[in-house]
Amino acid sequence: MPRRLEDEYEEEEDDAEEELDEETYDAYDARAGGRKRGRSAFIDDAAVEEDEDNYEEEDEEDEDELRGGRGRKQRKRGSEFFDLEAQVDSDDEEEDGDEAEDDFINDAGADLPDESGGRRTHRPLNMMPEDQEDVEEMERQVYERYAKSSHIEYGDDATEVEQQALLPSVKDPNLWMVKCAIGRERETAICLMQKFIDRPELQIRSVIALDHLKSYIYVEASKEAHVKEACKGLRTIYNSAKVMLVPIKEMTDVLSVESKTIELSRDTWVRMKFGIYKGDLAKVVDVDNVRQKVTVKLIPRIDLQLLANKLENRDVVKKKAFVPPPRFFNIDEAREMHIRVERRRDKDTGEYFEMVENLMFKDGFLYKTVSMKSIRSQNIQPTFDELEKFRKPGDDADGDMASLSTLISNRKKGHFMKGDAVVVVRGDLKNLKGWVEKVEEDTVHMKPDMPGLPKTLSLNEKQLCKHFQLGDHVKVFSGVQEGATGMVVKVDAHVLIIASDTTKEDIRVFADNVVKSSEVTSGITKLGDYELQDLVLLNNKLFGVVIRVESEAFQVLKGVPDRPEVMLVKLREINSKIDKRVNAQDSRKNIISVKDIVRVLEGPCKGKQGPVQHIHKGILFIHDRHHLEHAGFICVKAQSCIVVGGSNDRQGGNKFDARFSLRPSSPYLQSPRRPPRGPTDNGGRFNRGGRGNDTLVGRTIKIRSGPFKGYRGRVVEVTGALVRIELDSQMKIIAVKRDDISDTSGSATPFREPSRYGVGSETPMHPSRTPLHPYQTPMRDAGGATPIHEGMRTPMRNRAWAPMSPQRDHWEDGNPGSWAGTPQYQSGTPARSYEAPTPGSGWANTPGGNYSDTGTPGENSPLYGNSPSPYLPSTPGMQPLPLGSANYLPGTPGGQPMTPGNIGLDIMSPAMVGDNEGNWVFPDVLVNVIRPGEGPSCTAVVREVLMDGSCKLALGPTGDGDIITAHPADVEAVRPKKSDRIKIMNGALRGITGKLIGIDGADGIVKIDDTYEVKILDMKILAKLAGQ
Amino acid sequence: MFFHIFLERNMLLHPRHFGPHLRDKLIAKLMKDIEGTCSGRHGFVVAITGVEDIGKGLIREGTGFVTFPVKYKCVVFRPFKGEILEAVVTMVNKMGFFAEAGPVQIFVSNHLIPDDMEFQSGDVPNYTTSDGSVKIQKESEVRLKIIGTRVDATEIFCIGTIKDDFLGVINDPGAAS
Repeated sequence: MPRRLEDEYEEEEDDAEEELDEETYDAYDARAGGRKRGRSAFIDDAAVEEDEDNYEEEDEEDEDELRGGRGRKQRKRGSEFFDLEAQVDSDDEEEDGDEAEDDFINDAGADLPDESGGRRTHRPLNMMPEDQEDVEEMERQVYERYAKSSHIEYGDDATEVEQQALLPSVKDPNLWMVKCAIGRERETAICLMQKFIDRPELQIRSVIALDHLKSYIYVEASKEAHVKEACKGLRTIYNSAKVMLVPIKEMTDVLSVESKTIELSRDTWVRMKFGIYKGDLAKVVDVDNVRQKVTVKLIPRIDLQLLANKLENRDVVKKKAFVPPPRFFNIDEAREMHIRVERRRDKDTGEYFEMVENLMFKDGFLYKTVSMKSIRSQNIQPTFDELEKFRKPGDDADGDMASLSTLISNRKKGHFMKGDAVVVVRGDLKNLKGWVEKVEEDTVHMKPDMPGLPKTLSLNEKQLCKHFQLGDHVKVFSGVQEGATGMVVKVDAHVLIIASDTTKEDIRVFADNVVKSSEVTSGITKLGDYELQDLVLLNNKLFGVVIRVESEAFQVLKGVPDRPEVMLVKLREINSKIDKRVNAQDSRKNIISVKDIVRVLEGPCKGKQGPVQHIHKGILFIHDRHHLEHAGFICVKAQSCIVVGGSNDRQGGNKFDARFSLRPSSPYLQSPRRPPRGPTDNGGRFNRGGRGNDTLVGRTIKIRSGPFKGYRGRVVEVTGALVRIELDSQMKIIAVKRDDISDTSGSATPFREPSRYGVGSETPMHPSRTPLHPYQTPMRDAGGATPIHEGMRTPMRNRAWAPMSPQRDHWEDGNPGSWAGTPQYQSGTPARSYEAPTPGSGWANTPGGNYSDTGTPGENSPLYGNSPSPYLPSTPGMQPLPLGSANYLPGTPGGQPMTPGNIGLDIMSPAMVGDNEGNWVFPDVLVNVIRPGEGPSCTAVVREVLMDGSCKLALGPTGDGDIITAHPADVEAVRPKKSDRIKIMNGALRGITGKLIGIDGADGIVKIDDTYEVKILDMKILAKLAGQ
Repeated sequence: MFFHIFLERNMLLHPRHFGPHLRDKLIAKLMKDIEGTCSGRHGFVVAITGVEDIGKGLIREGTGFVTFPVKYKCVVFRPFKGEILEAVVTMVNKMGFFAEAGPVQIFVSNHLIPDDMEFQSGDVPNYTTSDGSVKIQKESEVRLKIIGTRVDATEIFCIGTIKDDFLGVINDPGAAS
């Protein structure tokens, strides 16, 4: 059977071929043949011959492509039809459909193939009568045609020029594209052909339906009208359908076929198309071209349990969704599950296989025989992972060979370029190295790197592989690692191992995917909107730095400081890029900002150092060039780092400095002399004891001036003269001069008072001395922060104070200049004018607290409570209050108590008063109850202190009167006299009773009841006990 | 490889240096500028050994700076492919180790370390032969062959191998201790 032979020996079978063709182009093709002739006539008379030849040639080439299934089918089909010879070839075409058809179009230049398009059932019916009619004519023509060509030697001498002559020119009929019903292209073509056969006057020449082009057919005709005429009345062609001309240049493209040579050979990698193995990589172990079957080697996806169940005819629960993961078949495992495993010898190969049911296993692989159609062999790019799995010990060469053949078949055009170093990988010259000289289609001319060989060798491209040497600097241009560059550190046949430039990691690539390059990159650096080294926010609220961009995903170093966590993140899993300029604090409270160089002090990355790339939520991403993992990124907590070149000082001032380093005043405030003075200072100014800054922290305050005047907030931190306040109304923290704030809340500050009193009582001299400091401080401040107000106010105050308070004599001494120098303040400007707009009010109440704690009437009264005119001694305390100094100086003692008291209350936070009261009020203490507007107060005995700070009082000096409830602000402790029983209301001895055995100025000498110790305590913290 | 070559450079000198010590200033500046730099062509300039010639200075208009063409002789160090070097190991990790030969950093990938040497992680990561007789760790001195160089503007980076005869550890301070 010539057909059969032809598969192998096309060349020699020319004659047979032609004969066959003769038969092939059966009777009904007569016209086509005629047309073809006619068409040739258009070209050139002289060319006709060659034309013919070329057709033949093409024909033959096409045959090559068709080889394989063709012969076989023919045999099969041939008997099915009466019109044996006529049918044979067309049936082939049909079968081979994809490849064959288009070629035939070229061959015949006629509508034959269209007709062959899958209408085999009715075609014979339609055609046969027609065929038979002019079968003789046909025969003649065909004979004529092929008789001629058969004598002509053709083959190599057909040059390109001759081929060129075949290309359509303006003289040739045009191709028209006609729209038809979708899916009925072939039908339409056949209909048209039938129509043409029926009505030979139609002026169309051919009809072409392409499988890959839906809803269009091509009609060859000289004029559009001819096409329209032909199409008229066809069901599948719409009337309105427009006829489009195919430009001459594109005509060849319409009919040219991309050759799809399926080269299935052993050891090629393929992928499965269907079933549970869909997409799995498989290796061809045997090809049966005759039966169109291949045996492939797969990693089995077998659920042994399921198999066992099945074998034992137990219930087989069909779980469709579940695809068992691929794993190697283990006989022992199978046996354990009572699966019978037989060992059989394959008849053909003589190899042993483990058989389970009808599944064949070997070395854990599943050997499966499948139809060629169920595998995909084009563009298989096995990943290294997959290859690794397939690789078994001792199998290396094999695996490489396989991947090599796959690779080679996947090569793109223009793979080799002049100058490439190549190595022969197949054939006699295997391992010969050389350089590419010239590339011609598939043939590569190479200059061998070996003496004694011809200057150039021409080899098939498939025999060659790119070759690199150790140390070559290369760039990967395709595959997963696309874009990466590095130096070749190992050449393993056609697999290269590259040390990446950036990461120094190993990259395994195929030599084919690599070019020499001097460029240095880390591969692709951008994907979507995100680039390498970007800080990104992930969907799950995590964040991290992109440390590598892969072809479809990012590697992200998560912002987890303890240990480096790398995550593979898809593009869509990234929420956004974090691009904020934020700062953080290092372990020494230095400010870290981006680009600062920091050193890691603790944790796994201790000792690493590098510039900060990103800061987010107190976590730093440091880029250390010498850190090789994670692209050099280190993720650490800001607290475990230190800024290189930053301060090691832990002082508060520093903290402050770092933060507000722009402020000129800061160095001032940081002066080393200050801290020791701090407590006194604060105590003096702020009516609170020597606790310093801490007392203020956490307190709710009101801002008295500045841009945030009137805001309330909570003190977060006190740094020098500045207070950081978290505003209640706005979500921010601001820094305010502490002079600009006033306490406002009623929250208890128990610690404050005790300390104050403590100071007072333990060191009686202090109260008087303390004021000295505060006044110095404002002046210092005046220089730095608020020059005008304070500078002005301070002297004023001094003056106002000095004359009045006897204990302030030294004060005058301390500040004589201010005293004498600014007398006009006193009279000229009412104190209020200073107080109101400035922190002055803060000041006003501060000294009040300092000097005698008399700023508030509440405090006054306990001290002087039992003196007939309690307010007289306390007047100095009133002074700073917003009374005009003029007002004060002549002030009548009687009038004063109330007014300054009220004002004092206004300015001082009522809370403070409350605090004080709450603190000092003790049961059994004798108090004066002040009821505004009721004139002189009456005495009462505290019976009980209620939770809210108010107290139950029993009126009368002995507590036998009515019980009333009074707010602490309305009561004052009665100042004890000598030899009175007292209670200590504050300080370390708070709550202890004793006897006042003497009064020395503002101090009382107290004999403690329990211990009989004699203590000198501030009179202010002493309250008279009732019931004496 | 070291070379002792002549190089030329145009030095820009600030007018404040003009005076009796101009030449000294110029040479000092030259040394400061040049020594330790790296050029792709010549490699690292290790030291300037002498100034051959200082040409006529040209005052730049507008700035007052003066350009002197200076010809100097210097020792340069440039690694070549195939060159054998002795280097000190600076870092060892699973990918290989880094060594330094003077200013040149050389990376020896684990593929280029003899197969019988295995990476041992731990406190002092190292590569050790199976019998433990040879150990490469930080501070070890190795002899290696350069198989590839990559020249940046400011750096020459090399890939080396010790997978060859007579290459490998030549002195291991760590082994002694």
